[in-house]
Amino acid sequence: MKAIAKKEFKSYFFSPIGYVFVGVVLFLFGIYFYQVIRIGSSSYLTDVYGTMFIWSMMFLPILTMRSFSEELRNHTDQGLLTAPVGVGGIVFGKFLAAFCVFAVAIGLSLIPVVVISFFSSPGWAAIFGTVIGSLLYGAAMIAIGVFISSLTQSQIIAAIATFGVSILLLVLNQIGGLVTNTFLSAALNWISFDSRYQPFSKGILNLSSIVYFLSVAAVFVFLTARRLESKRWG
Amino acid sequence: MIEVKDLSKRYGENVALDGVGFTAGENTVIGFLGPNGAGKSTTMNIITGYLSASSGSVRIGDYDTLDQPNEAKKLIGYLPEIPPLYPDMTVKEYLNFVYELKKVTLPRKKHLREICALVRITDVAGRLIGNLSKGYRQRVGLAQALVGNPPVLILDEPTVGLDPKQIIEVRDLIKSLGRDHTVILSSHILPEVQAVADRILIVNRGHLVADGTPFELEHSMSGERHVTARIEGAPQEVERALSGMQGVRRVRNFGEKEPGAYEYEIDAKEDADLRRPLFSLAAKRNWPILSMRSSELSLEDVFLRLTGSAYLRDDALPAVNGKKGGEKQ
Repeated sequence: MKAIAKKEFKSYFFSPIGYVFVGVVLFLFGIYFYQVIRIGSSSYLTDVYGTMFIWSMMFLPILTMRSFSEELRNHTDQGLLTAPVGVGGIVFGKFLAAFCVFAVAIGLSLIPVVVISFFSSPGWAAIFGTVIGSLLYGAAMIAIGVFISSLTQSQIIAAIATFGVSILLLVLNQIGGLVTNTFLSAALNWISFDSRYQPFSKGILNLSSIVYFLSVAAVFVFLTARRLESKRWG
Repeated sequence: MIEVKDLSKRYGENVALDGVGFTAGENTVIGFLGPNGAGKSTTMNIITGYLSASSGSVRIGDYDTLDQPNEAKKLIGYLPEIPPLYPDMTVKEYLNFVYELKKVTLPRKKHLREICALVRITDVAGRLIGNLSKGYRQRVGLAQALVGNPPVLILDEPTVGLDPKQIIEVRDLIKSLGRDHTVILSSHILPEVQAVADRILIVNRGHLVADGTPFELEHSMSGERHVTARIEGAPQEVERALSGMQGVRRVRNFGEKEPGAYEYEIDAKEDADLRRPLFSLAAKRNWPILSMRSSELSLEDVFLRLTGSAYLRDDALPAVNGKKGGEKQ
């Protein structure tokens, strides 16, 4: 597990993917941050992180698209699956590496607000809520992306499918608002990643949301492991 | 060391393997031979735990690959048909990764250095795998299998893509590895298997059709002996005399090869050795024998017969298989 996580994390930065991901996320962050600076009020800082959250969700598929697709395509999965490591360890290693790259991007985006904090007092609660929420939301999305990449040899298909699922989960509560059936509407709201995420943006660490995101991540790591296992029987 | 029992693999209606079973003791090289698509890779993938069998079992050492997969996998070094290499890593990084992946405890630097020297990739250790030639990649694949010094090595077509000089090197390497490892290598190139293997398994269409040492296989189809001789003398007379010899089934004249000397192929009945009677006959009639060669079926003939469409297991098998199966353990 450790070996795979380490190798994966490194390989994100051997190839441009890691740099592009972190770079683009921080670049967009910079633009929003600049706007806030121009306004001259640190009270908008929380909004920067709120917007950033949406952007980083858009880019996550780039991070997960190759994780298993590429292995399947290059037949390198044969090396992993015949090594004395459990399938669960392989999947979790991959998941962890992608999550770490995401965490690096989110972590680096905290630098400006730390600098600002020397001169002003930003709304720390909301900012940390957003960061923790992003990490949890990201973990769930990464697990889903890794799972999707284990279904196809094509990175493009993996990326687009993950992108689609990501957007769907983001807007699910809006659909919930349009449905008249109260049960269905409640169910959609319950699943919706966005409504789960909302408390964090207000600086509230909602326990049920935390458990929800971690569970989604765990379920999809598990499903990916089962998927790899099932290939043996194919 | 390896015990494969009654292995079958079905893909829906398609039967890829049907009742393949063999055992392999320590320190032997087993050649797995068969035409493309015979089930060599499938068997190897099942032994290494990459695929599951539809039925049957595999034991490596003391471990069943299904019950204790990780313990069994620790004992195996596997070079798949397509080496599992990451093009964006250097050879050194890759081998370090494999070292960690396999949780090897041998002294890292020394161990990896030895492997690199063994398969001769020391000079490319710092290069990206993606930039290496096919031959070097194959050798990095071999190095990867050797990491951790596992007692069982499973090599799926290890010499594919190598140039003739490298092929000889790799064969020698495999031979020397066979002194303290159990090696199973697959190939569809007969001389290769013949050169390195102590024992040959021939598979065809998912069935094990022969199992024996190269010598045994060559002699498994007796009754096919013939003698080729170049004899000086009047061809009609010689032919008639040869046909009249005891134990001769058929004589063919290949024509005049040297002035006055004709070449004949004399097929023997069953096991009869014709060389001595032929000598006496020629001496009596004063026909100088310029050359004589007793030719049995070469391994190649055996292979072609066993894997050819007309010749399937039922006739040829019992003689070879019954004699061997499991004796080596």
